[in-house]
Amino acid sequence: MSAADLLPLLRGLTWTVALTAGAFLIGAVLGVPLLAARQSRLWPLRFLAMTAIQIVRAIPPILWLFIIFFGLGMGVMPISPFNAALMGLGLIAAANMAEIYRGAVASIHFGQWEASAALDLGRWSIFRDIIAPQAFRVALPSAASYLIGLMKETAVASTIGVAELAYQGNQLSQLTFRGLEVFALVGLFYVLLSLPIAWLSRVADGYLRAKVAR
Amino acid sequence: MFPTQDEISAWLPDLLGGLSISLQVTGLSLLIGIPFGLVLALGVLAKNRLLKGVSLFLVEVGRGAPALVLLQFIYFGLPSTGLTLSSFSAAIIALAWNTGAYTSEIIRASLQSVALGQREAAEALGLSRFDELRYVLLPQGLRVALPALLGFSILIFQGTSLCFTIALPELVSRAYEIGSTTFRYFPALLAAGVLYAAISIPAAFLVNHVEKRAGLYAQR
Amino acid sequence: MDGAILYLREDDRLHGRVQPAMMPASTDVLIRLKSLSKHYGTHIVLDGIDLDVRSGEVLAIIGPSGSGKSTLLRCINYLEPPDGGIITIGSMTIDAARPVARAELSGLRRRVGMVFQSFNLFPHMSVLRNVSLAQERVLGRSRAEADERSMQLLKRVGLADKAGQFPVRCSGGQQQRIAIARSLALDPEIMLFDEPTSALDPELGLEVLAVMRELAETGMTMIVVTHEMGFAENVSDTVMIMADGHIVEKGPSKDVMRNPQQERTKRFLRAVHDR
Ligand SMILES: Nc1ncnc2c1ncn2[C@@H]1O[C@H](COP(=O)(O)OP(=O)(O)O)[C@@H](O)[C@H]1O
Ligand SMILES: [Mg+2]
Repeated sequence: MSAADLLPLLRGLTWTVALTAGAFLIGAVLGVPLLAARQSRLWPLRFLAMTAIQIVRAIPPILWLFIIFFGLGMGVMPISPFNAALMGLGLIAAANMAEIYRGAVASIHFGQWEASAALDLGRWSIFRDIIAPQAFRVALPSAASYLIGLMKETAVASTIGVAELAYQGNQLSQLTFRGLEVFALVGLFYVLLSLPIAWLSRVADGYLRAKVAR
Repeated sequence: MFPTQDEISAWLPDLLGGLSISLQVTGLSLLIGIPFGLVLALGVLAKNRLLKGVSLFLVEVGRGAPALVLLQFIYFGLPSTGLTLSSFSAAIIALAWNTGAYTSEIIRASLQSVALGQREAAEALGLSRFDELRYVLLPQGLRVALPALLGFSILIFQGTSLCFTIALPELVSRAYEIGSTTFRYFPALLAAGVLYAAISIPAAFLVNHVEKRAGLYAQR
Repeated sequence: MDGAILYLREDDRLHGRVQPAMMPASTDVLIRLKSLSKHYGTHIVLDGIDLDVRSGEVLAIIGPSGSGKSTLLRCINYLEPPDGGIITIGSMTIDAARPVARAELSGLRRRVGMVFQSFNLFPHMSVLRNVSLAQERVLGRSRAEADERSMQLLKRVGLADKAGQFPVRCSGGQQQRIAIARSLALDPEIMLFDEPTSALDPELGLEVLAVMRELAETGMTMIVVTHEMGFAENVSDTVMIMADGHIVEKGPSKDVMRNPQQERTKRFLRAVHDR
């Protein structure tokens, strides 16, 4: 193995980062309406959202990717590997983020709702001014560790041909017959990728904590 | 879009065979992985530097690298050292390692939460470190850890799907194969999804139930 | 407490343009509850409460724990929708048997301020923002207007210097005074207090009671659930004893506190004094 062999791994790294960031963004955004539906006053909507979350989480990511890439891609509309992976992982992230948000909202003391209601703040203001900012703070550490988990989860995208880190590792190991070193290196890259996320999460958490405690 | 009656009866034996392999891998990985996790937890807590270092390394790699990469490392990487494993053994070793790494953290946290109150009591009784661990910390710690361990078991069951990449004929492999021979990908994959859900969803309800009961226990 | 009826705008009182001494409680009823009732399952918590509170009156509600005091307050501003009965506040009437419209609820909540036992300040906002937020969102004031009014109110509760701080950096007594300012910011006609000093050490409770006393002197109509016998006797005009969802006894504060008529009241007051 030479330094030139590292190049494809680094290229793979960028795809891993792109896929992770994209899927997380989709999940973080879609998780909000999903949670709203899950907490809705209309029971059919509530039931629907709850069932959807359950089902998405019950099926392994690799199977979701196959269902989208092979199932939909071959039958309904052709879809690129990256988009299929983005869709599948985004879907999974949305279900998981909705659950993380739910836990965070549930942790907010009921007195906050009562005080808001007594002040006649409307539903939107209660969400935007009172609940969301507090829930965001509570959700931050779990969201960060989920982001790290999601980053590792993106490795399954290699199975549908997204040229990310695990895919490049696979190619390289077949090319060089040095599977042991290559996969060790690939594993190390994933570990290294998780470090800045963990660090950022700690910094952000500390900053927010310090801000409130000032 | 959906499998027809005939397709279902034609595919079901094959899919159930795959599911059976998935469940076997799950069971064996947990059976080996959870005791391994306990060993790693004790290793991380040990005073011996070497023991601690090795345990920490195994935990950090087992958690930090994707399970998919662990699998490929063992199945595709080890042969270059002369050690060639069947896909079934490689699956179990990789997932047991993954299980051990995650459960060691669960078990360590539980042991420490119990130790907080009980350690002094055990020392006051004059128990040896080993007896304290065996009779006081472990029984309580494992009870605290149970809901999280069960929750993790569902994840490992889903994780067996990664063994598709090392050609283990588990559930996803079977569904994919049916799809590629019949070009009925969607119905075949959907059928596999239903089988996963049929196990994961009731299991999730069970874990939820255990969690609630454990919560009540902790409150008392 | 009878005398000339003074018709004043709320802000006359709030801004202290009227001397406290000139502020007797008027005889016009501001709040009227007619057979207000509430139950949880089979448990009747409020059993047809009839109650009149005059404008400017300070009513103290005392009674054993679980007697329904909190529920009564929470029903008045619909934090807990009552099952039946009629709530009249000034010109506004709400029939609890019918569903209330959002606008009605809004009108009710604006007229009625509430202070909670656990303060319930918004921990992620500065003290100033806590007081300003509802003025902006509910009354549509500009940020500058709201902040100016908030500073006045914080000055009034003696906490202008805390405006830029976050609530966690304030003592319990300070937090409760901020909560009072926050409620006053919507210019309510009535203030409800649910055991405002119960979560506080006695000396911190005193500073909250002092603010409440001042508020009473400006003529605010107040309903105060409290265990502070001194406040009930000396600050409030009227004392009401509750037990098991009923009003046991109600009358001028000195009479009820010094010379209770009902056996249940005597027992309760004895139990409190023996503590
Ligand atoms: N949300 C609720 N669900 C069921 N019971 C309740 C609820 N809130 C209050 N109660 C019951 O109503 C009774 C009156 O409660 P509360 O008004 O809080 O009493 P107080 O404030 O006088 O101590 C109590 O027996 C209490 O257990
Ligand atoms: Mg109460």
